[in-house]
Amino acid sequence: MERLHFSKYVLNFWLLFILFLGMLQLLLFNVSALNDLSSSLLNLNTIFLSILIEALPFVLIGILIAGFIQIFITEEHIQRWIPRNPVMAVIMSCLVGALFPACECGIVPIVRRLIVKGVPIHAAIGFMLTGPLINPVVILSTYMAFGNDLRIASLRMLVGFVIAIVVALLISLFFKGSQFKSSLQPYSLTIPSQQTSFFTKLLNMVKHAIDEFFDMGKYLIIGAFLAAFVQTYISTKTLVAIGEGEPSSILVMMGLAFILSLCSEADAFIGASFSAIFSTPSILAFLIFGPMIDLKNTIMLMSVFRLKFVFWFIALVATVVYISIWILSAYLF
Amino acid sequence: MKFHVQQALRAFMLLSFSAMIANLHWTGELTKFINPKYEGLSKTAAILFFILFLVQVTRIISFSKVPHSCDQTGQACCSHHDHGHTAFTRKKMIAYLIIMTPIMTGFFVPAKILDASIADKKGGAFILTQQNQSSKIEDYLTSNETIDENIYDEHEADPRLTEEKQEMTKKQYEQLKQQLSQQSMLKMTDEDYTIYYEEINQNLANYLGKKIQLKGFVLKEENFTEKQLVISRFLITHCVADASIVGFLTEFSDAPTLTEDTWIEVVGTISQTTYEGASLPVIHIDDWVTIEQPESPYLYPINIRMSF
Repeated sequence: MERLHFSKYVLNFWLLFILFLGMLQLLLFNVSALNDLSSSLLNLNTIFLSILIEALPFVLIGILIAGFIQIFITEEHIQRWIPRNPVMAVIMSCLVGALFPACECGIVPIVRRLIVKGVPIHAAIGFMLTGPLINPVVILSTYMAFGNDLRIASLRMLVGFVIAIVVALLISLFFKGSQFKSSLQPYSLTIPSQQTSFFTKLLNMVKHAIDEFFDMGKYLIIGAFLAAFVQTYISTKTLVAIGEGEPSSILVMMGLAFILSLCSEADAFIGASFSAIFSTPSILAFLIFGPMIDLKNTIMLMSVFRLKFVFWFIALVATVVYISIWILSAYLF
Repeated sequence: MKFHVQQALRAFMLLSFSAMIANLHWTGELTKFINPKYEGLSKTAAILFFILFLVQVTRIISFSKVPHSCDQTGQACCSHHDHGHTAFTRKKMIAYLIIMTPIMTGFFVPAKILDASIADKKGGAFILTQQNQSSKIEDYLTSNETIDENIYDEHEADPRLTEEKQEMTKKQYEQLKQQLSQQSMLKMTDEDYTIYYEEINQNLANYLGKKIQLKGFVLKEENFTEKQLVISRFLITHCVADASIVGFLTEFSDAPTLTEDTWIEVVGTISQTTYEGASLPVIHIDDWVTIEQPESPYLYPINIRMSF
C-alpha cells in the first residue's frame, strides 16, 4: 500500500514537471526574472531531444540486431567462430568491429547479447571498441573535416585499432566471465530451435528487441539528458583554459570527448574546430577516445556490466589512449 | 484470457514514440533538431517503432494459462531480461516515467532555436579566431547517388545551388568557388553561406575591400570593444547537439544599441583585423537593418560528392 502511495506521489510530481516545462514558453514573456532559467531549460530540452532523435534510429537497429543474435545465433555457432586463443580472438573481434558499421549507442545491446551467447568478454570488448570508431562514414567525415587531409583520418583508424587491441588484451588478462550485473546473470539456453517456423522466430526476434529497448531505453535517455545538461550549462571555455601544455591538453580533449557524447560520425567537425587551440595529438585523443567511451554510453554500460567492471574498463581505455597518444606525440608530430 | 497491463503500457509507449517523431515531421519542427539531410533516418525510426508496436500489441492479451509461454512457442527464454511479466514495482514505475519523459516533452514542449547563450557555451567568438586553419564546413556523401532530392526545394535561393541541391562534386564545388570569388558583391544566402565563409577565411587577401551582404544573430563577448559584435549562425552537421558557430566579426558605431540574439542583415566591406593574436576577417558595416528570425535559422554543410 505504501508503495502505491509513493508511486502516485512520483507520478504526480512527474506530471507537474512536464506541465511546468510546457508552460516555460509563457514564462519567457511574462516574468523576466525567470527568463534566463526557463530559456536555458528550453535549450536543454531541445538538445536532449535532438541527441535522442539522432540516436534512436541507431539504437533501434542495434536492438533488432541484438534480437537477431538472440534468436538465430546459437552458442555452437559462437564456439565454432571465435578462436580459443585470446590473442587471436581479440584480433578477430577487432577486425569484425572495424568492418561492422555501428554507432556507440547502438552497440551496447549487441555486445550484451553476444556475451550472453558465450562470446568471451575480451572479444566482445574488442568488437565494442572498434565498431563505432572504424567505419567508412567516420573515415570520410574525418577526412573532410580536416581539410581533405588523409593524415588525421588514417592515424585515427590505425592508432584507434591498436589501442582497441591493447585494451581488449588487457581485459582478457584481468577479467573473466561475463562481468554482468548480478541481476542479469546469463543462463544457458536449452530451447531446441529447429521446431519453430521462421515466422515465429522472426516474431520472437522483434519481441526480444522490444524488451531490449525497455531495458536500455531508460539508460539511453538518462545519458542523453546528462550530455545535454553539460552542453547547456558548462562552457567549453572553462575546459580550454585548463589545457595548457601537451600532457594536460590531451587530458582536456579526452574529457571534452567524454562529456560532449557526440556521435562518432559528427565529432570530427567539432574536433577540427579546436585545431588551433589544441595540438594535433590532443585532437587525435579526442577523436579516438570519444567513440570508445562517452557519458551517454557509460550510463548504458552501467545498465549491463558491474559497476566495478565499468569503472576499470573506462580507466583502462583512458590510460591506454592517454599513454599511446603521449608517446606518439613525441615521435609523430 | 488475461489482460497484461504492463504489456499494454509498453505498446502505448512504442506507439507514442512513433507518433512523436511523426508529429515532429508533420509540423516541420524536426528541422529544429536535426539536419534535414537525416530526416530519412528518423522516418525509419518512426516506422520501426510502429512495427515494434504492432508486435507488442499481440502480447497484451494472452489466452494460455502459462504466464511465460516460452515452452509451447519455442521462444528463447532468458531470466536476465525483463519481459514485462514481473510485478509492477516502484523501480519500474520510475523507469517507465523516464522513458515517457522525452515523449511528453517532444509533444508538448516547443523546440527552441539555439541562441547566444549556447553559442557562449560552445566557445563563442573564441572559436572564430582559428577558423582559417582548415576547412571544416564541407560535408560528405558516402556514395555517388543522390539521396536528398526535395529537401531544399522549398527555399528559393541562388539558382546554381538549387539546381545542385546542396550537393555537388568536388570539381563543381571548386568551379563554383571560383565564380564566387570573381563577384564584386558577395550576397550570402543560406545555401551558399558555407562556401563563401570557407573561401573568405582561407583566402582573405582575395576578398579584402569587397562588398558583402549577410544576415545572422548578434553575439557579443566580454572582451569585445563596444563597437564589436559577431554576426553569427549555427552550422548543424547532424543535430543541434553538434552545432558549431560560424560568423564574421563586425565593427560599427551602432553596435552598442543591439542586444544579443537580435537578427540583423548587413551590407559592409570586408577588411582584416587581429583578435587575440589571430588575424581574421572583419566587416565594416555600411548599412544594417534588424530582421525577424528566419524560418530556417540554421546552416547545413554542403555535400561534396566524393568520387573514388
